[in-house]
Amino acid sequence: MDIRRIAVLGAGRLGRGIAECAAGKGYDVVLFSQGAGGQDALLRIERSLHRRLAKWGITESEKRLILGRINYTQDLKELSNADLLIEATLDKMQVKRELLHTADQFCRPEVVFISASATLRISDLAKEIKRSEMLVGLHFIPPVPDVSVAELVRGEQTSEHAVAVARQIATRLGKQAVEIQESRGLVNPRALLVMVNEAACMIDEGICEAHHAELILKESWGMKQGPLEMADRLGLDLVLSWMEQLQKAYGSRYAPCPLIRRYVREGRLGVKTRLGFLAYSEDDSVLTEDEGNKED
Amino acid sequence: MNIFVLNCGSSSVKYKLYAMEGEKVLAEGRVERVGQENAVITHQSSGKEKVTRTMPILEHTVAIQESLNLLTHPEHGIIKSAQEIDAVGHRVVHGGESFSDSVLIDGRTKEILDSLAELAPLHNPANVIGIRAAEKLMPKTPQVAVFDTAFHSTIPPHGFLYAIPYSVYQRHKVRRYGFHGTSHKYVSQRAAELMGRKIEDLKIISCHLGNGASIAAIADGKSIDTSMGFTPLEGLMMGTRSGDIDPGAIFYIMRKEELNLHEIDSMLNKHSGLYGMAGVSDMRDIEKGIAEGDKLCKVAFDMYEYRIRKYIGSYIAAMNGVDAIVFTAGIGENTPSLRTALVANLPYLGITLDEEQNKKRGEDIEISTPDSRVRVFVIPTDEELVIARDTASIVS
Repeated sequence: MDIRRIAVLGAGRLGRGIAECAAGKGYDVVLFSQGAGGQDALLRIERSLHRRLAKWGITESEKRLILGRINYTQDLKELSNADLLIEATLDKMQVKRELLHTADQFCRPEVVFISASATLRISDLAKEIKRSEMLVGLHFIPPVPDVSVAELVRGEQTSEHAVAVARQIATRLGKQAVEIQESRGLVNPRALLVMVNEAACMIDEGICEAHHAELILKESWGMKQGPLEMADRLGLDLVLSWMEQLQKAYGSRYAPCPLIRRYVREGRLGVKTRLGFLAYSEDDSVLTEDEGNKED
Repeated sequence: MNIFVLNCGSSSVKYKLYAMEGEKVLAEGRVERVGQENAVITHQSSGKEKVTRTMPILEHTVAIQESLNLLTHPEHGIIKSAQEIDAVGHRVVHGGESFSDSVLIDGRTKEILDSLAELAPLHNPANVIGIRAAEKLMPKTPQVAVFDTAFHSTIPPHGFLYAIPYSVYQRHKVRRYGFHGTSHKYVSQRAAELMGRKIEDLKIISCHLGNGASIAAIADGKSIDTSMGFTPLEGLMMGTRSGDIDPGAIFYIMRKEELNLHEIDSMLNKHSGLYGMAGVSDMRDIEKGIAEGDKLCKVAFDMYEYRIRKYIGSYIAAMNGVDAIVFTAGIGENTPSLRTALVANLPYLGITLDEEQNKKRGEDIEISTPDSRVRVFVIPTDEELVIARDTASIVS
């Protein structure tokens, strides 16, 4: 089946990134969110496109074209028009299962379901849907439009066809799909969380300031974003939730640093609250150490 | 002999049907928004009314089928069946080092074309899709590929190599290829005809000035240098492309603005040139801006003219002389003020313009006076005709 219209479930950072990336490659996208934040998601996508325009990455007409291809809805009945479904909601088993179960009713039977979950197993998610062989994992890494790799995972029942569709869509979105074994946390989230947690411990122990830890890690490994900025952009509440899930699966090495718990308790969640490990301006860019101190 | 010329882009198909006896255009049309539900097909057969239709056209095969349907339509068409088409000529942007002339397409040709996609990722894949679609619809009709780069295959190594480690050329074929070759070939041949001389005896500088712009030095009928290089980004200032720039400035900009490769590529290709300077990419808007006193429009126009003049000067040096300068394509054909400015700034060449002739549009015209030391022409380009001629020549 030729894929032209993609339904993206979930309008958080990952869902928005997938929607922006897919629309940028010419797909019509329907972005579903059952919360009230959907319209805000379109505004955030527009802001993201504006940032790309300011960096000359796209033109004004490309920005309009991409935005024109994304529609937001809360009506799951519109899933009936989708040629592919990508689920990018919060990693909560019950929420995902219910959504996938509902989507299973509305989507045409030949439509492949992709889950972008980082910490839940595809085989477990597949239990609630009839098309269990059509569910495949493809974990996109934020910022989705910029990262050229995605982690491909098949569940116990995933068909070769579903894997082929996931590979095809990854290629068309400009990502190399690297297949790994089904596991909680996959490769990128597991490795990132260890690094973030260790950096948080060092900050908590007073060994260095967050800015300095970020600078050392970012520059020494040639990263575009350091691990602390990545964590802030993911949201420290999500980071904490992932760590707790991985702690259950892998034990104490994923025990969250108390600093992360404290930040989440204080509502210091990262970019979305403009303060996490680092401080952020209204256009979501990182403030320098001096600017950040003023913000504090 | 009827030749069907196809120019397939990523979301468009342009076509012309020629009767080669008399080189008459029997029909022409274009399909826009291929891949969408609301594609638009516009078609006109010679002596008949133009037809415009909106319909879902989700792939190139359907677009070409629809154009064939209109060509054979009892009311709007001009032929009774597709069997009256003797050959199909395809425009292919990049022939790499593999094709120095137009070729009859076979399995091997398509394999090579597939391998060249990396050199022209925006164009070649669409061209090859068009070839496969036409083969599917007309399996018994010969298909010919005509390359934008082929005319420049005569550029000698000292002209096509870049002064970077030779191993980069050996490994990745990074070199000057040049583009708009079909257009440069057509207008230079036409200029020779208008001069009543053999092209082998002439030194011609051909200026293809459209939204993309390139200039070519043509000696003895062969391209010996051209301004576009490995990609169409090098050379003249263009509508939205920078043209020549110090590579060191690119690295500096990337560092200062924290740009990645995609962003700097997009900046140089889509946000620069006339648009980057003056905020408009259309030369008509630049002229309007100048008339309204916009200083940046004036600077952009002067830069545009100056860079053409520099290339003309360097190509005169490269050929040790020039007999004729030819202007073609949108800006080259329709901007008398640019031609006037160029000539006014080149008194050393002894060119004198006939201002009345210079104002004319839409026809092959000599705009220099009879006593001009260098003859100057405006010749509307006709790349499709070159494709049709090459195709006819290969299949007959």
